[in-house]
Amino acid sequence: MPENEVFKIKNLHFAYGKHEVIKGLDLGIKEGAVTTLIGANGCGKTTLFNLITKNLKPDSGEVLLNGEDVSRTKLKDFAKKVAIVHQYNTAPPDLTVEKLVEYGRSPYHTMGLSPDPAEDEEKVKFALQITDTEKIKDKPVSELSGGQKQRVWIAMALAQDTKILFLDEPTTYLDVRYQLDILRLVRKLNREFGITVIMVLHDINQSLYYSDEIVAMKEGKIITHGKPEEVISSELVKQVYGVDLKIQQVDGKPFVIPV
Amino acid sequence: MISRRKKVISFIVTAAALLALFLISVNTGSLKVSPSELFRGLFIEYDSNVATIYDLRFPRILIAMLGGAAMAVSGVLLQAVMKNPLADPGIIGISSGASLVAVLITAFFPKLYFFTPLFSFIGGMLAFLLVYSLSYKGGLSPLRIILVGVAVNAMFTGLMSAFNSGTGSSYSGVASIVNANITMKTWSDFETLFIYTVIGLILSFFVTGQCNLLQLEDKTARSLGVNVTKSRMIISVIAVLLAAISTAVIGPISFLGLIVPHIARLLVGSNHRLLIPYSAVLGAFIFLLADTIGRTVAYPYEISAAVIMSVIGGPFFIILLRRSSHAGK
Repeated sequence: MPENEVFKIKNLHFAYGKHEVIKGLDLGIKEGAVTTLIGANGCGKTTLFNLITKNLKPDSGEVLLNGEDVSRTKLKDFAKKVAIVHQYNTAPPDLTVEKLVEYGRSPYHTMGLSPDPAEDEEKVKFALQITDTEKIKDKPVSELSGGQKQRVWIAMALAQDTKILFLDEPTTYLDVRYQLDILRLVRKLNREFGITVIMVLHDINQSLYYSDEIVAMKEGKIITHGKPEEVISSELVKQVYGVDLKIQQVDGKPFVIPV
Repeated sequence: MISRRKKVISFIVTAAALLALFLISVNTGSLKVSPSELFRGLFIEYDSNVATIYDLRFPRILIAMLGGAAMAVSGVLLQAVMKNPLADPGIIGISSGASLVAVLITAFFPKLYFFTPLFSFIGGMLAFLLVYSLSYKGGLSPLRIILVGVAVNAMFTGLMSAFNSGTGSSYSGVASIVNANITMKTWSDFETLFIYTVIGLILSFFVTGQCNLLQLEDKTARSLGVNVTKSRMIISVIAVLLAAISTAVIGPISFLGLIVPHIARLLVGSNHRLLIPYSAVLGAFIFLLADTIGRTVAYPYEISAAVIMSVIGGPFFIILLRRSSHAGK
């Protein structure tokens, strides 16, 4: 069965000044899958992330979302199709969880007015429930723990009611319990609600365990792309991160021994 | 966290205080009338005392209220745009740009006096665009805006003082703009201020949602469909309009655009849907208070409201800042 590709990236080039970061990159991202970008620091994965999400404009090449060039899509229309949780977020000190999640509805508003308040309410409620943040909805975001905060930002993205969700290093700054919390939530969103997830992760084992597709990058190019168990090998780890590490199978799943 | 009830109470109390202050201010000075006499004189039959008050005090009081509201809202908008609590139309040079142009028009083209607000707006925009373009480097950094703004402000203020001193302070209209003097204002000054301020305030109500979203990280605001640069530009134009018009009529006022939004945030929180209208009311109250104090404290001499603002505003601001843990944000 041929799987549909939501994003198609063709011959993408991007440079910061004279420093070329993305060097002729092609990539297709499967619909309904969890795709994770991995690579060493400075390999261009964050840049690629920003190019796909319209935060940067490519020098040449194109990013197609369901066949449409994203550079020609209006930000507001893009926000109705694609939700993004960035790595670093701040909120005013007195902003409550519920108010913040309501911001997720703003792509649907005109001049700050909602055409359908009932739908807004329903989507916000859903986002709060699914991320388990309903009990804390009246608390200020600034007073929450790191793990709770991350859930709230994901809830805001979910209120956008999109079929595609981007997450930029969603587990950074969190201890391992909250990391798993977030990754389980991401998996749930994918499995139960069919949301296509594209994320950047640092932890290679978490990437392998929670992804359907792994995209490994090096020096602005993709060196491999496929299912975790098919692509992972000591050679790949050596190639991507420049270290010799062993791969072990636990319950039929591959794990890199990270020491 | 401030409860909804507290916010509503703050709003009502401030509005009531503004009304009370208005009545006190009307009755402050050598002429005194009782509220019933005032009402009769205004609406029922002619009274020479009330007529004098109506011609001399009313425009001044209403101008102080409108100017205060305009400067306060301009401050809120600029702080939202620059994500910087120090942003103030005075500090980043918008007021001085506006007054410099107003000064030049008053001195060299007195026939264009009627269009002073328009030229002030151009002057304010010029200052703003100067600050904006000089501090733009692949994006707007809040810190750079303030630094460039301070420099632009110093330059315009310097030019204005130089012009005023170099002409032996012989242009009285110029001196009144330079010194932020609101005595001797007439109903026509009020009308000018009224039209533009109301336009500016109405426009500002339309951008409250965008102001809220701009408080998030730029990337996050973008991911919610906000064209961050365009939004900043639109909100800034409204802020410049409000600051410039108020400067054209009452001269540059420092501190107001800085203090009022701070107090307002402590009382009603940072949601712009409430913060902007509340700041308008509080700005009107505080500036009228400053003007009323200035009229009475050294009677028969007058101290400019701008001076009162700086003298009382500074320490008050510091106390508030120290008392609240949120104030620094």
